[in-house]
Amino acid sequence: MKTKQAKIAFLVVTLLVASVLVSCIPGGRQLAKGWSGTAFHDGVVYVGTADGRVVAINSSTQSKQWDYGITPATTIYTTPIVHGGLVYVGTYSGKLYALSVAEGVDMWVRPTEGYIGAIVGNPVIADETIYISSSDGMVYALDTTRAGAQKWKSQPLADKLWTSPTLMGDALYVSTLDGHIYALSLETGDSLEWSFKSEAGFASSPVIYEGVIYVGSFDDNLYAVRIGGSEPLWRFAGGKWFWAAPLVSEGVVYAGCLDGKLYAIGAETGEELWQFESRDAGGKRVRIVSSPVLMDNLLIVVDEAGTVYVFDLDGGLANEGVPWRAIPIGADVRSPFCAHEGLVYVRGEDNWLYAVDVDQGEVSWTVSLTVEQ
Amino acid sequence: MLEVWHLIIGNPILNVLIALSHFLGGSFGLAIIVLTVIVRLVSWPLTRRQLSSTKALQDMQPKMQELQKKYSKNQQKLQQEMMKLYKEAGVNPLGCLWPMLIQLPIWIALYQAIMRALATTPENLLDLAHRLYSWEVVRQAIPLSSQFLWLNLGQTGLEAGAAGLFLAIIVGGTMWVQQKMTTAPSADARQESTARMMTLMMPLMFGFLTLMFPSGLALYWAVSNMIGIITQYFVTGGWGYLKLRSPAQSTQ
Repeated sequence: MKTKQAKIAFLVVTLLVASVLVSCIPGGRQLAKGWSGTAFHDGVVYVGTADGRVVAINSSTQSKQWDYGITPATTIYTTPIVHGGLVYVGTYSGKLYALSVAEGVDMWVRPTEGYIGAIVGNPVIADETIYISSSDGMVYALDTTRAGAQKWKSQPLADKLWTSPTLMGDALYVSTLDGHIYALSLETGDSLEWSFKSEAGFASSPVIYEGVIYVGSFDDNLYAVRIGGSEPLWRFAGGKWFWAAPLVSEGVVYAGCLDGKLYAIGAETGEELWQFESRDAGGKRVRIVSSPVLMDNLLIVVDEAGTVYVFDLDGGLANEGVPWRAIPIGADVRSPFCAHEGLVYVRGEDNWLYAVDVDQGEVSWTVSLTVEQ
Repeated sequence: MLEVWHLIIGNPILNVLIALSHFLGGSFGLAIIVLTVIVRLVSWPLTRRQLSSTKALQDMQPKMQELQKKYSKNQQKLQQEMMKLYKEAGVNPLGCLWPMLIQLPIWIALYQAIMRALATTPENLLDLAHRLYSWEVVRQAIPLSSQFLWLNLGQTGLEAGAAGLFLAIIVGGTMWVQQKMTTAPSADARQESTARMMTLMMPLMFGFLTLMFPSGLALYWAVSNMIGIITQYFVTGGWGYLKLRSPAQSTQ
């Protein structure tokens, strides 16, 4: 009898040791924490939080207008989109929520039953249709005028889709982690004749400017591919991946890289115009994870350590890679951000919203996005 | 400290695995199998010593049984005489633990490599960027497909359901066979009971770990066990103690 008890005790201890082993190994599966960014509309900043809520902050009063908790709790990677009186948010659990702008009440949720694959890339809206790329490898088109009824879903394009689709003309362009760019019909979701294949996968979402797709790759290059072409126009070599989608304006591609540099590249030639190195106080390069944003003539870049760099493209020393302002917010940043009328709205990894005043060169105000207990 | 770990063990294993999968047609599962073979080859000197010890223990059994009979009423003396016997034969009874201990850092690094390389979450994928070498083959292999046979290598056995349970049985079963082949029977009932418990508990623990860890790591364990069984069979010349009944059982 005693031996039997000892055996059971030994078994329990063994399983406990095994459990401790499982939980103690560092650096394995990182929790999906999300990196939802900010969107500004009509005086209100909309943002997804680290604990899976969508919050509307009135920028005048700097207070919460509403706070919507998604249940069951999930993670949010997408940045809210405001369109036609609704705020759209895709979740990692694989649902799309349409909330009312005024009160943050869910007007509809799709799919109504079950889930599609995790939504990581930002959805896009055009002509009352919202297009979603999903981790089940398919793109979904939902009709916003019919409570998100499905118009079509594409054939599986890849193992998973984590990038945002991009619209141009009557086609939707999707870059995949396995190195394809597909063109889908906006009407039917069918694959169009043209597609592009690279040997390495694509890390960033595609950006289209004057018929050319600009997209970052896992081979550390930024690709420029003319729609319809079979070979890239050019490839620009960075030191690491171009993770964030680049920004293209007036013939210049501004691309943040995980090597800690911002590159300004001629959109036609692929030649480097200038570069800027983001470094922390210790002189170590800091990755640029978020896409740059343009506010009038100001180019805004935020590095992962949370320093907001502002380049004056008209009159400053931007052409020499010298920022006009460098404003540390004191929190890490991985999320997309937006800028409006002199303020840059950034969600920090500490789950605070920072409004950075570009002219003053300082953080103007902050709001905690954590639920007060 | 953690950075040193990544520099010396974590990142090399991660990059070798990714490069291997590029050369093996993009199959991460095959890369794990090849890495297992490499690890077993590298640890071969230790394994050979362990197998020699097992063989020596096997050969010592008649003398051991004699001693156990002779000093059945004086445990202290029995222990002394047994240690003397081990010393004379140049055998370390705990020697079999070394290959397992040596492999522990590799298990941890492999676990981290699997989770990072398969990029099960967007954070994992982003984190991968600064761990990759600038080898062309590595950059072209990213991201990897997690599918191998019926397994999703990034899923834990629990997440995989029936497939995970099947893998847990394979891991536990092969470990039991391997242990059974090397565990020398004892005439002493108490020692025999402890040995039997250990032979049962280790496979149970690894079966449980298979359910908790990603299937890629369980694949490593299963293949490693199978290689262990095969080498043991050929080096020690047969199934070892697998078919042998213990003297304690025989006398009952």
